[in-house]
This record gives sequence, structure tokens and C-alpha cells, in this order.
Amino acid sequence: MIPYAEALAALRRAGGAYPMRDDGLAVAELLQRHHPDNIGGKPVPLAVGVNAGMLCQPEVAALLQTNALIDDVDIAGAETLNTDILVIGGGGAGCAAALTAAGEGARVILATKLLLGDSNTVMAEGGIQAAVGEDDSPQRHFEDTYTAGHRAADRDLVAQMALDGPDAIRWLIKLGMAFDTVEDRPFGGSLKRKTPGGATAPRILSYRDFTGLEMMRVLREAVGLHRGVQVMDRCPAVELLSDDRGGCVGAVVYSLEHHRFVLVRARRTILATGGSGRLHLNGFPTSNHYGATADGLVLAYRMGAKLREMDSYQYHPTGIAHPAHLAGGLISEAARSEGAKLVNGLGERFVDELKPRDVVASAILRECAEGRGVARDGQAGVFLDVPGLVREKPDVLASTLVSLAHLAAKCRIDPTEEPMIVYPTLHYQNGGVAIDGSGRASVPGLFCVGEVSGGIHGRNRMMGNALLDIISFGRRAGAKAAESATEPYASRAGIGHIHDWQRQLTLAGLPLDARGPHVFPAYGNFDLAADARLTARRAAAQGGRR
Amino acid sequence: MSDDKVSLVIEGREVEAPSTASIIQAYSASGGQLVTNVGCMGQGVCGSCRCMVRREGSRDVTMELACETPVEAGMQVAFVSYFQPKRPHVYDLETLTGGWQILDAIDEVFPQAKSCRHCGGCDRACPRGLDVQKGVEYAVQGDVLAAKDVFSECIMCNLCTLACPERIRPNHLGLFVRRALAALTLRPVELMRRLRQIESGALTVDTSTVDAPRQERRP
Repeated sequence: MIPYAEALAALRRAGGAYPMRDDGLAVAELLQRHHPDNIGGKPVPLAVGVNAGMLCQPEVAALLQTNALIDDVDIAGAETLNTDILVIGGGGAGCAAALTAAGEGARVILATKLLLGDSNTVMAEGGIQAAVGEDDSPQRHFEDTYTAGHRAADRDLVAQMALDGPDAIRWLIKLGMAFDTVEDRPFGGSLKRKTPGGATAPRILSYRDFTGLEMMRVLREAVGLHRGVQVMDRCPAVELLSDDRGGCVGAVVYSLEHHRFVLVRARRTILATGGSGRLHLNGFPTSNHYGATADGLVLAYRMGAKLREMDSYQYHPTGIAHPAHLAGGLISEAARSEGAKLVNGLGERFVDELKPRDVVASAILRECAEGRGVARDGQAGVFLDVPGLVREKPDVLASTLVSLAHLAAKCRIDPTEEPMIVYPTLHYQNGGVAIDGSGRASVPGLFCVGEVSGGIHGRNRMMGNALLDIISFGRRAGAKAAESATEPYASRAGIGHIHDWQRQLTLAGLPLDARGPHVFPAYGNFDLAADARLTARRAAAQGGRR
Repeated sequence: MSDDKVSLVIEGREVEAPSTASIIQAYSASGGQLVTNVGCMGQGVCGSCRCMVRREGSRDVTMELACETPVEAGMQVAFVSYFQPKRPHVYDLETLTGGWQILDAIDEVFPQAKSCRHCGGCDRACPRGLDVQKGVEYAVQGDVLAAKDVFSECIMCNLCTLACPERIRPNHLGLFVRRALAALTLRPVELMRRLRQIESGALTVDTSTVDAPRQERRP
């Protein structure tokens, strides 16, 4: 590793004219040797459940194969609410589903672990893909997405999403979301477009470099103002409710405010719980929101929902590496999209910065593994040459990379003078619950939308496809789920399915005392059993004393 | 980076933390239960970790985001717990059909805005340092583009709403203006053309084109 001062001197000597290093590795080989999916914890076959035998990242496998957090006795006598549609998760996908279902006349309860809008959506910076340009087409969008995902995605889901793109943008504009235009001419103007890594045409639409914030504040306000949606803040789902045929008929949520469980019975349940970055897989820092602990994934699998690509995760190339207390925070791909270069400790470029994210991240890890990284205060990474970009586009920080300027200030560096040090950060769960074109999982009554779902991004997601995915599939799931509004409720709603699950765990020799989902990261210092006084309740229910 | 430890008080508890830690990192590392007042953990965009901060030697209380504010020795911190005030300002964007009504609509939905007494409470409350009061004034005067710009970087933490004695709810007013402007005026031409192509069935996607893998070249 090359000390910071020396690396900085090399960068400055090169003065923007960086030679490109080529070590002759083909893409497949680079990924095989350096991507964390391949060199981190070795994937293990799942021992129980509908995907038994499928390879899964080991830490995720351990979590998927945990016992339920609660038993029947814990929810005896709990308050029960009835609704047409239960949406779990208050990010972009959940809000899109809730708004669409309520717009169709369904009564919706939206339960969320933190507050409405607290999600990865609000943190998204770069933008949203939609093929609107004359030089672009939904066909290209489909092909780019499928190829970037290493041909592992469900083609029909990708094609449908690519065709949904323009309508998703119109829907967002109707809700009041702004997008950057060329020459600030809204009516009849042109949308500003950027090129995401791995794309054959500029396709990213954005609002400055806080597109997700603009999207989320509009969606949050629209949900909050909609009379058909009842929002339950601070109510994480801790188990799904099943009927006697194994279908999903709602969820058990835990009110953090009142320290008690509430049963929400619903005709259809839409899981929009997001991803799993806060599991810090392979010891990586994460760019993810605090709530991203894979809760929905665990609950859905326990109920029998099929998963896919559970061994594939995205490490975003440009996480902050220094200073240490900000490690993992994200520098948007917008910086590279605008032209910022990645430079190793020798003052060389080493990858085309606009290759797909897994390729760029692997290339950065290669530089660090082979000693060409930059070392500063015990942190390692490579340079993101923001000063070089500013020399080419002097007003770029003020006009488009506003968040980057803000971030540099937090790192206490002058971005016009000093490069940022970056290292890959755990960013996205590529796989998830397998769905159809309406977001339906393999369990009757259960829908999954957004990052919890799988099949859209294959084994690598392109920039801007997450924000499109949540709107496209969120709306479709909301509309499909709303069609059930006249059906009768299932006669039974309980957690009987966990007994079968516990039998499976025991047969596989897995412990019953490991419980999940985590609900909060370990550093949240939260223990559901203690918070809900479960031990005391269980003792009381069995006739013991408190 | 120095490894200096500082001690401060968060939520009434004495906490020791490295001087580089943010308030929220210090709180979590000290064993504090973190199940609310937390969100994006460092990006400063979700507004959930808003807190009141008093620094040693100062009598002033400032409003800050705990995920972005580094700890300091002698600091006193109290989270402003989440609050969801009733929504007195109810509107349906779809009923706004033309830009001519925008002034009436602002006055109708946010009638308190015109009685702003310029106390500056909202400006002091804003952890982002936005000119909130000016934004309200622009909106009332109908200078909607100026108002839109003022609230462009608003993270909807609701602190200005909490601080306003006139119950103007400035951030919601700002968002209303922004939403109305986009919904009423943003009509990108290539988007309209593309929608027409898709909706007429002229543009579809052929999924068989990817049958043969595209050549993956060197990075």
C-alpha cells in the first residue's frame, strides 16, 4: 500500500494525464479473483426451506435459518386490525404500492419500522433510469440491464420494467417530483440525461444529486395526505400471519412505542422491507439505511416464499474510505458519470470508470490487494479525482454534485484541491424473493417489491434501476393487490406456519435458540424479548409467576 | 486522526466517545438503544436524528442532525423525538388544474403563511441553514420559482414546523409549491413522445435479442 503523501504527490505529478494500467484480466477473471461474493465467506447451500440446496451467502443463510422471534403465546389477546392491503415498509416501493392500492379504492395500512420515508430510497443520489431519449429505447434499456446483470435476471421482468420506465416518470411528475431539465425550460423542454455504468445510451434522469430525497419527500407527503392510507410508524413486522393453507393473510407488527404486538389482518400483504446492507456481510461497511436488516426476506422465506440469487450482492465502488468514522458512506456514481477518474497510489487509472459496478468495485479491490492502493490513517482505498473533474467542469460541485460538496466538507477536505479516498461499500442485495410481473411471491397472498424482491437485476444492478424498480413494481403490486378488495377474509390468521418451520430446523440439526429477523443492527442495542417482556409473559401464560 | 476521547451528555447520560465520532455513533457505542431518531446514519438526508445541542460555554441551543455533527467535550444533546402533528393543510394536487390558481391555492391551503411575523424561529431551527422565512415570504407573494429554490435542499425534518408559533408549517408549504410547480409545468417533450410510442404499441421489447451473449470486453 502506498502512503497518502506519496500517492498524492504521484497524482499531482500526473496532473490529470493518468496512464491506464492494463493487467490483462478479462472481466470474468477479475470478478472471480476480486469480487467479495467470490473471495468473502464461501456461499453455503441452504439446509431448510423451499430453496434447500441453493447457494446462499453464509451470513444471510444463518439468518434465513433462524427460529421465529415470537411464539403463539406471545400474541394471545393482541389487538387485531383489519385492512384490505397491508404494506410493510415505508420507502419508495411501499409508498408507491400504498398510493396505487389506495387510489383503486382499497383500504391500506402501511406499517414501517422507523418513520415513513426512512429508507434507502431517500439516500439514493444518482437518479432513475428511463429510456426517453431519441438515441435510446426500452429495448436498449432491457439489453443493458440484462447484460449488466450477467444474464441472470428474469427477462420478462426486465422487459416489463424497461417499458414501464417512461410512465413511471410521468407518474412521479404528476405527484409533483421535479427532474433536471436542459436549459431550465420545463414545458416542452428536455430532461437532462446521464449515462450509468454499463449503459449504451444516456438514460439516468435525476434531480441534482439527491434524486432519492426529492422522490421520497414527494411520496411521503402524498401518502401522508391520502385518506385511504393509515400509516403505522415505528411498527416493525416480526412475523407474517398465515391461514390454514399456508397463504399470507397479514403480519404481526411490534409497536416500539407501546411495547406490544398488533395483528394486522389483510387480504393481501405487500412486503417492501428493503435490503440487507446493515448485516455488514463479509465485514464490509455499508452505504445502507439503518433499517436494512433483511427482515422481510427472513419472514417470507420462513413462510415458504422462493428466493433467488441469494449469493449475489452489490458492493458500490465508491464508498468513503477516509476518515474512518464516515467509512461506507456513499459517493454517488454521478461523480464518475460526470467524468471523475479513479486513480491508484501510483498515479495510474486502472479501470474504465463507467463499467458496471461489480467490475469497478473488483478493480478497486484488486489495486488494494496488490499493494497499489492508498493508505491513510489505517484506512485503504484509491483516489477519486474530484479536483481533476473540477478543473474540467469548474461549476460541477455547485450545480450538479451538491451532495458531494457537502460530503467533502464533512470529510474536512477541500474537494477542489484534495481527492477523496474511496473503497467499495456494501450497497445492494441483487437477489431476493422471486416474483412475477405483479410482484407476487410464490406464497399466495404475498407480494414483494423493491430490494426485498429478486430477479430484476440479475447478479449486478445498474445505477438508476433501483429507483425505477421500486416505482414500476410498487405500482403494479398495489394495483394487483387492490383487486382483492371484495374477497372475504381468511377464516384463520395465526403463526401456525412457524411450527412446521421449527420442525424443519430441528430435523436439519439447526438450533432453535437463534432467532430472527434482527430488526435492528447489533449496535442498535435492541432485544425484542426484553423490550416486550416476553420471558415474563411466557411464564405468566404458563401459570408461573413474574 | 487523533484517538482523543471526549465526554459529553446525550439524553441525560454521560458518554465517552472518540473525538471523530458523530453524536449518533457515540450514543450507539455507549449502549444507548437506537430504535428511533435514526435513519440514514451519516448522509444527513432523512432528518430523523434531529437533536438539540448545547455546547460548553454557550447558552444557545442549536438544532442539528446527530448523524452529521461530531461530538465535542462538554456537549449536551437531547433528541427531538419524532412528532407527527395533525395535518391541517390538506390538499389534493390533482384538483390543481392550471397555474392561474396557484396564488389562491397557496392562500387556501396555507392561510397562516401570510401572517408570518418574521420571528426567524424557522431559520434558527433549520439544520440545513435554509432561508426558510424568506421562502415562506416568496410563496405568499407568488414568487413560486424563488420559493421552490429555497426549499430545494429541504430534508423535511419538520423542525421549522415545530418552531413556528403561527403554525405555518413552512417545509410543507415549500413542498406544496414545489410539487405544484412540477405537476403543473414539467412536460418534457421527449418523454411525451416516448409515452405515445409505447402506448400506441409502436415500441415494444423483444426479449430474444439477448439469446446470444454480448461480448464482454476487458474492463
